[in-house]
Amino acid sequence: MLMCRDLAVIASDYIDGELSGRQSLSVKMHLMMCRDCRTFIGNLRATTDLMKGHSSGKLNEAFLQRVDERVAEALRTKTSPNKDK
Amino acid sequence: MDSAVHTQTELSLIEALRRGDAMAYQKAVREYSPGMLAVARFYLDHSSAEEVVQDCWVTVIDAIHKFEGRSGLKTWLHRIVANRCKNKLRASKREVATDFSEGLEPDLAERFNATGRWDLPPKLQFHDSADTLLENGALSDCLDKHLSALPETQRSALMLYEAHQHKSEEVCNILDVSASNLRVLLHRGRQKIFLMVEAFQETGEC
Repeated sequence: MLMCRDLAVIASDYIDGELSGRQSLSVKMHLMMCRDCRTFIGNLRATTDLMKGHSSGKLNEAFLQRVDERVAEALRTKTSPNKDK
Repeated sequence: MDSAVHTQTELSLIEALRRGDAMAYQKAVREYSPGMLAVARFYLDHSSAEEVVQDCWVTVIDAIHKFEGRSGLKTWLHRIVANRCKNKLRASKREVATDFSEGLEPDLAERFNATGRWDLPPKLQFHDSADTLLENGALSDCLDKHLSALPETQRSALMLYEAHQHKSEEVCNILDVSASNLRVLLHRGRQKIFLMVEAFQETGEC
């Protein structure tokens, strides 16, 4: 029988639909009987939604400036390949 | 196999990049670099990762003409970064050190008793929708802080799967991990973020 701890181990697989039909069914049966696990699964799902909506990674200005400069330089070289010859 | 679903915006951007439009590059760099850095940080330290992403953008100027559109632009860029990182690792004969041990985060594991039932169950429900939660600037900052503190491998897996919404197979391909190891990385990372959000909701502190 699936215990709460077992469910916590496979919770992400359940949320992402990665469990077999049989495993998924045993999770669903456990969830029908266990309010704590329903809260846990609900909160873990909310956590994944939170990360989906979170804009990942603020880029630092110095990095952006370096990329812009290198790209601009490469574009200039490309459009006038013989300018230094 | 990838399906080639390009939005009109993406097609216009690709065309502009092919024309060598500097403004289009600036736009693309800002839009796609966070994901590219997430890929690079899986393999390399911070400064090497930034260097690789810079190099990749320069490579893109020529490579974009060979882009056949069989995958989305984002996936294509992420693969370029991944390949470059893998080459760099091969050249330096280094490997990505990753803990793929399964199971629960210790802080979560200790909340179960010996019979496998909850000793300290989650007290609060995260009632609010993700959008509402993210409107809380303090929580958003806290999320940033905790994402930064995750092991790079877990963070990259989460970023690519959740924030950049790649399919599992694509994340496995880009990060060169098996499907089962990706599952471990995602679950370990999610548990840490779950514990962070829970503590934040209970105490209001990060």
